[in-house]
Amino acid sequence: MSGPRLLRVVCYSVLSAVFAAGLFAEVITHYSYASQFREVPNAAPSAMHLLGTDSLGRDLFTRVVYGTRVSLLLAPAAALLATAIAGILGGIAGLRGGWTERTILAFADLSLALPLLFVLVALRALLPLDVSPILSVIATFLTLGLLGWPSSLRVVWAAARRLRESDHFLFATALGYSKTRLLLRQVIPNLRPILFALFWISIPLFVLTEATLSMLGLGVMEPLPSWGNLLRGCEDFSAMAANPWRLVPLFVLIVTVICFQYILPTSGESA
Amino acid sequence: MTTWILKLAQRLLLLAALAVVGGLMCATMVRFAPGFGVDERELDPRLSQASLQAIRQEHQLGKGLLAYYGSYLSGLVRGDFGTSAFLERPVGELLKERAPFTIRAVLLGLLTAWVTASALALLTVRFPSWMLDSSATAFTGFLIALPAAVVALLCVFLRLPVFVGIALVTVPKLFRYQHNILAQASAQPFVLAAQARGVSRNRILFRHVIPVSWHPLAALLGVSASLAFGAAIPLEALSDSPGVGQLAWQAALNRDLPLLTSITLFVTLLTVAINSFASATHQERS
Repeated sequence: MSGPRLLRVVCYSVLSAVFAAGLFAEVITHYSYASQFREVPNAAPSAMHLLGTDSLGRDLFTRVVYGTRVSLLLAPAAALLATAIAGILGGIAGLRGGWTERTILAFADLSLALPLLFVLVALRALLPLDVSPILSVIATFLTLGLLGWPSSLRVVWAAARRLRESDHFLFATALGYSKTRLLLRQVIPNLRPILFALFWISIPLFVLTEATLSMLGLGVMEPLPSWGNLLRGCEDFSAMAANPWRLVPLFVLIVTVICFQYILPTSGESA
Repeated sequence: MTTWILKLAQRLLLLAALAVVGGLMCATMVRFAPGFGVDERELDPRLSQASLQAIRQEHQLGKGLLAYYGSYLSGLVRGDFGTSAFLERPVGELLKERAPFTIRAVLLGLLTAWVTASALALLTVRFPSWMLDSSATAFTGFLIALPAAVVALLCVFLRLPVFVGIALVTVPKLFRYQHNILAQASAQPFVLAAQARGVSRNRILFRHVIPVSWHPLAALLGVSASLAFGAAIPLEALSDSPGVGQLAWQAALNRDLPLLTSITLFVTLLTVAINSFASATHQERS
């Protein structure tokens, strides 16, 4: 097995393990992410608490596992939403051309000019700060999905336009294929690899953005854990130096994002 | 020349359209935010009916939506961004006070990022080797995997200025774009032909590859500006730097929407202006 291929296999294995941990959190740990062990706050790792406890006496390992569920299962959902919007709008723009194409591209250009984090912070601030944790998760990832499509749209549009001008598409149109058949037999199969690549690219981007928002107190709200709000404790440098195992959420996040980078389809594969 | 003026006019039109659309979006967000127009002073039992009426009029509650849009946009034209509810100061004044910090940090950060990323990209293209390529990819891959807020904490821990943090967030993405653009240009047939004729590697890079790559590289200026402004929020918020990013964070925590939306509009217009400058520069050169 060649070096890059081996690296991809390792990355796939790591990501599968992390996804599985998030998915089967209840099996991996029998504590609840909100349960407090008030007699042992700030405890060091032990057989009872694999990564110790936080200042409120909550089991850190449990919180990391449940945080993985929140971050890694909802980021793909947001990526799916963003890719779907980009796919639909980009596909329409590329295939229809004319004023529809110009309008959609102008709208995408306007949206691209908006600095994402500023808009996210502004939209997130529309919700009350004491919003329920579940609603904060939904709002955070929904906003990410609804705002994360403009850069992907340009890529889909370019591919759809190439498809519209291709000989085989022209041939299919000349044969009198219905619009549904064109969509099912020509458009979707040709755009699928690009949409798939865009979907994978968006996931780590959304994981990182959620982490930054939650670290600023504007993402997923306590007591629900996410990788981002688990990192809020990093601001206390002396506590981190004394309890280095508290950096585990950061380590998991970095390893996951790096693994995503290595498994992303190359340009040759997505073309 | 005429084409260039036409392109510039198009860009200015885009900027104006963005200002109007952005202004309307901001006004909508403020107008429909929960608690719009509710003032805690209204709970004061000592106030008379006339005082309560005056407070409500202050919030323009009696006006219809269109009138509200009109007054918001005309205020923007006059440079009146409204008043911050939580700092109780005019937003324009706050922006005037804070913007220089952010603009200086972003400009210095962009300069550092461009110099570092360009040097790294040129090095990997000029001396192609598996080792150098892998090292650069691993280094930038690690930086990309760090959330901007973690970079901000690193800067606080190492006592680094905000612009270094902005550069650290921008460098990896900039390097990857630049490396791809230069690598694509290096694989062009005319470069292979020059190599076959025995032209030196340095000459090929500086006389053939870079001039061809100039347009897509210049287009990256706008992308990098957008990245740099985005990084300003966590960096300024966590390192306690008195810039626009910190102001946006404080406004979000205090749900001060008039302030927050005005900051977003201001930063968006600044980003589009930098984008337009980048486009105008490379169009002029072409």
